[in-house]
Amino acid sequence: MKTKATILLLLMALTVRAGDDAFLQAMGKQIGAVYTAQTVDELQGVVNAFDRIGQAEQGRWEPLYYGAFGYLMMATREKEGQKKDGYLDQALERVNRGLGISKDNSELLALEGFVHMLRVSVDPASRGQRFSAMSMKAFNKAIKADPNNPRALSLMAQMQYGTAQFFGSSTTESCSMAQRALALFGNGTTEDPLAPRWGKEMTESMVKRCNP
Amino acid sequence: MKLLVLSLLLLVTAPLTAQTPIHGTVVDAQGNPIPGANVVLRGTYDGASTDGQGAFAFRTDAKGSYVLQVSAVGYEPMEESLTLSGLEVKVSISLAEAVTELNTVVITAGSFTAGDEDRRTTFKSVDIASTAGATADIAGALNTLPGTQKVGETGRLFVRGGDDNETRTFIDGMVVLDAYSPSAPNTPSRGRFLPFMFKGTSFSTGGYSAEYGQALSSALALDSKDEDETTRTDVGLLSVGADVAHTQAWVNGSAAAKVQYTNLRPYMGLINQHVDWITPPLSTEVSGAVRQRFGDKGLLKFYGNANEANFSLYEHAIADPASRLPLEVTNRYRYGNLSYQAVLPRDWSVRAGVSYNTSAYDNTLATLSQRERGAALHVKAVFEKSTSSVAVRTGGELIDRDYRSAWTDEQQGTLTQSFREPITAAFGETDITFSKNFVARAGVRGEYNGLTHNAALDPRLSLARKLGQGQLSLAYGRFRQSPQTQWLRANNQLHAEKAEHWMLSYQLITNRRTFRAEVYHKRYDDLVRFAAPGTLPPAFAPVNVAMDNSGSGYARGGELFWRDNQTFRNVDYWVSYSYLDTRREYLYYPTAAVPSFASAHNFSVVYKHFVPALKTQFGVTWSFASARPYHDPNRPGFMQGSTPNYSDLSANVSYLPTSWMIVHLSCTNVLGYDNIFGYTYAMTPDAQGVYAGRAIRQPATRFLFLGIFITLSKNKGINQLPSL
Repeated sequence: MKTKATILLLLMALTVRAGDDAFLQAMGKQIGAVYTAQTVDELQGVVNAFDRIGQAEQGRWEPLYYGAFGYLMMATREKEGQKKDGYLDQALERVNRGLGISKDNSELLALEGFVHMLRVSVDPASRGQRFSAMSMKAFNKAIKADPNNPRALSLMAQMQYGTAQFFGSSTTESCSMAQRALALFGNGTTEDPLAPRWGKEMTESMVKRCNP
Repeated sequence: MKLLVLSLLLLVTAPLTAQTPIHGTVVDAQGNPIPGANVVLRGTYDGASTDGQGAFAFRTDAKGSYVLQVSAVGYEPMEESLTLSGLEVKVSISLAEAVTELNTVVITAGSFTAGDEDRRTTFKSVDIASTAGATADIAGALNTLPGTQKVGETGRLFVRGGDDNETRTFIDGMVVLDAYSPSAPNTPSRGRFLPFMFKGTSFSTGGYSAEYGQALSSALALDSKDEDETTRTDVGLLSVGADVAHTQAWVNGSAAAKVQYTNLRPYMGLINQHVDWITPPLSTEVSGAVRQRFGDKGLLKFYGNANEANFSLYEHAIADPASRLPLEVTNRYRYGNLSYQAVLPRDWSVRAGVSYNTSAYDNTLATLSQRERGAALHVKAVFEKSTSSVAVRTGGELIDRDYRSAWTDEQQGTLTQSFREPITAAFGETDITFSKNFVARAGVRGEYNGLTHNAALDPRLSLARKLGQGQLSLAYGRFRQSPQTQWLRANNQLHAEKAEHWMLSYQLITNRRTFRAEVYHKRYDDLVRFAAPGTLPPAFAPVNVAMDNSGSGYARGGELFWRDNQTFRNVDYWVSYSYLDTRREYLYYPTAAVPSFASAHNFSVVYKHFVPALKTQFGVTWSFASARPYHDPNRPGFMQGSTPNYSDLSANVSYLPTSWMIVHLSCTNVLGYDNIFGYTYAMTPDAQGVYAGRAIRQPATRFLFLGIFITLSKNKGINQLPSL
C-alpha cells in the first residue's frame, strides 16, 4: 500500500514536471515569435497564443506580460489614434491582471509605463502632461522594484531625453542612464528562459544618439 | 503492482495516439468573417487564430467533454460545448458585437464635453486654457462654441436666446451661487473658477439630464480633479498680479492650495480706460482642494475658495456727464464643496455631496447703500446602477437659499427685501441601450418649492441613433428656474419660470475631426412680467413694481461646428456658427420683442498653431456677432434701435523656454474695433423733450496680458502649459 502511494506521488510529480515542460516549451515558441513578428496580423496571432496559454495557466504572469507586449508592438505599428488606444487598452488590461498575480513586478511596471508613454503620442497636446506623469510614476516604481531592470531604465531615459531635447536642456542625466541600461543588457545572461530579453537595440540606438 | 504502474503509464501516454481535428469559421452577426479571433479549448493550450476568411483549424489530444471558447476584440465572447473522440469536429461560431463605451452611440444633443480621460470629447481642458481672447476664463472659451451669443459687456454665457442667469454652474454636481466675479457696470466679468482646477467640463446648451435642475437654458458642469499625480509648486507672475500654488501628493491622495492676488491698479493707470475709476478692482483669493481615495473605489473630495474683492468708480449721469456719483462695491465670497463617491454591491454606485456658499455685497452709490447677503446650502445624493444595456440613476437633493438685501437711503430710511427658498427635488433617469446603434434616455424630475408651495414634475427624453459614420440625436425636456434674485426679492410670490427644449442634432467624429449640426426650438412660459409695462428700472435700486408670471417667449435656431486638428501639422482650429431667432414678452416689454442681448448671427474661428522650432504656440480667435437691438425712447416703437456688428480679433503667444517655465502674452481686439454693445438713456427727457443717450463701449479697446509661469517639481517634464 505504501509503495502504491509512493508511486502515485512520483507519477503525479512527473506529470507536473511534464506540464511545466509543456508550459516552458509553448512559451518559448511564442516568445520567439513575438520578437520576430512583423505585421499586426502576425502579432495578433502570437498574442492569441499567449492568451490561450494564459487561460490554461491562471497563476502565471508571463503569458499576460507577453500578451501585453504583443499589443504594445501592435500599437506602435498603428497610425490611427482610436485603434492605437484600443490596442493599448488591451495591453493595460493584461498588465493589470499580471500585477494582480505578481505584485510590484518590475517588468510589468515597466510595460505599464510604456503603455502610458504611447498614450501621449495619440494626442500630445492634451495628453502630454497627464500621461507622461503617469509613465514616469510607473517607471520609477519599476526601478524601485528592481534597480537593475535595463528596460525600465532605458524607457525612463528615453522619456527624460525627449523632454530635455524639446526644451534644449542638458541630456547628460538621461544619457548616463541609457549607458547604465546598456551595460545591464550586456551581462544579462539570465537563467530564466521566460525572462524578457527585448530592449537592447532600442537602448543602443539611444546611446548612439547621445554620442554621435 | 507492475500492472498498475503499466496501466498508469499507459493512461498518461495514451492520448498521444489519436488527435481530434477541429475546424470551423467565426463570423459576426451579419455573417462577415472575423479575422484574428482567438479559439481555444478551455483548460488546454490547444487552439488557433482565425485567418482573413474567419476560418480556423487545429488538432487536440484532449478527449471527452470540453468547452470551446471564442473571443475577439470588440465582440462578446462565446462558448460552445464539444465532445472530443478523435472524430473530426466542425463548428460555426457567430459573435455579437460588444456594446462598449467606445463604440456605442452617446447622447450628445446640446452638449459639449471637455475631459482629459474620455477619448470622444470634442473639447479638452487645455483647449479652454489656450484659446486666444478667452484669457483662461471658462466662459470666454465656451463663447467660441455654437449656441452662445457674444454679449461683450458682460463676459458671461448667454445660451440660445437665454439671459446670463439661465446658465447655471455646477461643481461636482453641486450648484454654485453667483458664479461670476464682481465687475463694474457694463464691463466684462470673469468666472470665479479657473479651468485648471477641473479635469472635465461639460457644457450643455439644452436638453440636459434630469439630475440638473434650476437651470432654464444651460448647465455648465465642472468636475474637479480626482488625483494630482505629482508634488509641485507653481508660481505665476502676471501683469495684473501674482499667484502661488502648491500640490502635495501622497499614495492615495493629494492636497492643493493656491493664493492669488489680482490688482488691476497699475495696469489701469497705464492704459486709458473708459471707466472713471477711483480704485480699480483688487482681489485676493485663497483656494484649496483635497482628494483622498479609500480602498479601490471610494473617493472623497473637497474643494473650496474664499475671495475678497473691491473696486470703486465714478458714475456720470447720462443727462449730466459732468456729474460724479461715487459707486463702491465690496464682495466677500465663500464656497465649499465636499463630495464622496463609492461603489456599492450589485453594480450600484453612490455619489453624495454637500456644498455651502455665501456671497456678501456691500455697495454704495452716492446716497443709496445696499447690504446684500446670500447663502445657499445644497445637499445631494445620487445612486447609479449600470449594466451593459441599462443604466439607472436616481437621487434627491435640497437646495436651500437664504437671501436678504437691505437698502438704506439717507432720506428715505431702510427697505429690506428678503426670501428663504428651500427647494427639495427628486429625480430618476434610465439609459437603455437597445443596441450599439440606438440608445434612449428617459427621466423625470420632481421639485417642491417651499417658498411658493409649488410642486412640479418635469420630463426629459433623449434618443441617439447611429447614422452611417455619424449619429443623430433627438432631445426634449422641460426645465424650470426660480426668477432672478432682483425680482424674487421684490415679490416672493413669483413662481418658477419655465422653458421647453426640442432639439435635433447630427454629429460626425472621425479621427481628429468633428462636425456637428444642430437645430432647436425653445418655448418660454411663466416669465416674470411687470403689471405696467414701461421702462427698464435703474440697475442699482430696489424694484418696487407689481409683477406676475404672465410673460412668455421663444427661441429657435440652427448651429454648425467644425473642428479639425488633423489636416495641417501642428495646427488645430475650429469654426462655429449660430443662428438665433428669438422674441420675448417679459419684464417691462410692452410687446413681444427681440431682447437686447440677442444677436441673430454669431460666428467664431479659433486657430492654434504650434511651432516646435520656436517652442511656441500661436493662437488667434476671431469672433463676430451681428447687430443687437436696443430701445431708443426718442423714436416711436420698442427695441427699434440696432447696434453695429461686433467684431474682435484676439491673439496669444505661449513660449516655453525651458521645461519648467512658460511665458504667455495675449491681447484682445488686436485690430482695435470700437465695439458698441448698445445705448443707455436718461430716465427723464430734457427741456427739449429729448432723452439723452450714451453708447455702451468696451472699457478699453484692448486688454493686454503678460504672465510668466514657473513650475517647480521633481518631475522635469511638468509645466503649467495645460493650465494656460
